[in-house]
Amino acid sequence: MAKEESVFKVVLTLVLIAMVSAILLAWVNKITREPIELNKRAETKRAVKIVLRGLKNIAYPEFPEEMEVDHSPVKYFKAVGIRGVLMGGAFIVKAPNGFSGDFEMMVGVDSSGLIIDTYVLDHKETPGLGDGMLKESFKEQFRGKRLAGTTWMVRKDGGDIDAITAATITSRAFTAGVKRALQAFERLKKEGQK
Amino acid sequence: MNYADKFKKTFFTENPVTGLLLGLCPTLAVTSSAENGLGMGLATTFVLLMSNLVISLLRNIIPNRVRIPAYIVIIATFVTVVDLGLKATLYDLHKTLGLFIPLIVVNCIILGRAEAFASKNTVWHSIVDGIANGLGFTFALFILGAIREILGSGAILGFRFWPEEYRTILLFVLAPGAFITLGFMLVGMNKISKMLEGK
Repeated sequence: MAKEESVFKVVLTLVLIAMVSAILLAWVNKITREPIELNKRAETKRAVKIVLRGLKNIAYPEFPEEMEVDHSPVKYFKAVGIRGVLMGGAFIVKAPNGFSGDFEMMVGVDSSGLIIDTYVLDHKETPGLGDGMLKESFKEQFRGKRLAGTTWMVRKDGGDIDAITAATITSRAFTAGVKRALQAFERLKKEGQK
Repeated sequence: MNYADKFKKTFFTENPVTGLLLGLCPTLAVTSSAENGLGMGLATTFVLLMSNLVISLLRNIIPNRVRIPAYIVIIATFVTVVDLGLKATLYDLHKTLGLFIPLIVVNCIILGRAEAFASKNTVWHSIVDGIANGLGFTFALFILGAIREILGSGAILGFRFWPEEYRTILLFVLAPGAFITLGFMLVGMNKISKMLEGK
């Protein structure tokens, strides 16, 4: 190997390597873009079906609409029955300030504002602690609750929600997320009455 | 090259994790379950195999002075390929590993093998070296993940040892558990290595 390579050769090899890399990545990006988009949409669809289960004869749009609650964007699928009556909705909200940042969850609500079910879409909470929010024992207390009549805080803060053992921060975020979704539903309902 | 010896070395005596103590960041961070360990290990194996292959192909072309930047570009390219590929095929696994996949770029095992082996050996030997080291890494991550998952969650790969309501040793799925388990694992692996060498 020569001790001193010419600058020209050095630059040329690096440029060539970078160019080949860029071409390869562009190609991989192109062939994976569609499957990735489909995977994301399939998960959202699955979640909507779960959180709106039990509602009969409803229709909801293919893509979600958007609004804002507490300066945080909420995406939602409005479920309408015959003649466009509001039958409920699936709300995608950001649960604020979890143990590892915000996480995304979906809440399904029926026409009278009662929670059908919740579904966590994307989270980075601690496995074994925070991910207790995926367990039935935690989720079931939310079902059948509505915005009014419940203090939407964990018991430690003077509310009505039983927190997950050793994961109060996650429980707080989850509870705040559910509350946002319920507020979003109330707003939808009001708009419908106008 | 004796393949059986090579694999025995990279699994035990010169295992990247338990023998050389390389790549500890992903090792400690993702091994809260056996599945995560396995996924991370295999993703790294793919990157290691491909980067070793390309770097040994180009070993006489890349100028000595810029070899490190060149290696990093090559490694980063394959990491991005893995990232996008996993997202497109194993979406759920990608969701749990997501944060750590881009960090494979700075996993010193990969740059280490490029610098110490692939840049000096033939393509075929570099491929074998990449697979052997990758699988050794996967092996260590899987064992670590399995121990932590059994003790911390009472389950492994979806199989439960005791019901969900039972208390488990939560410490093991948290960060300190990773260090403690790794410590005990090093003791065990050193014993095994000594036995293998003593023969």
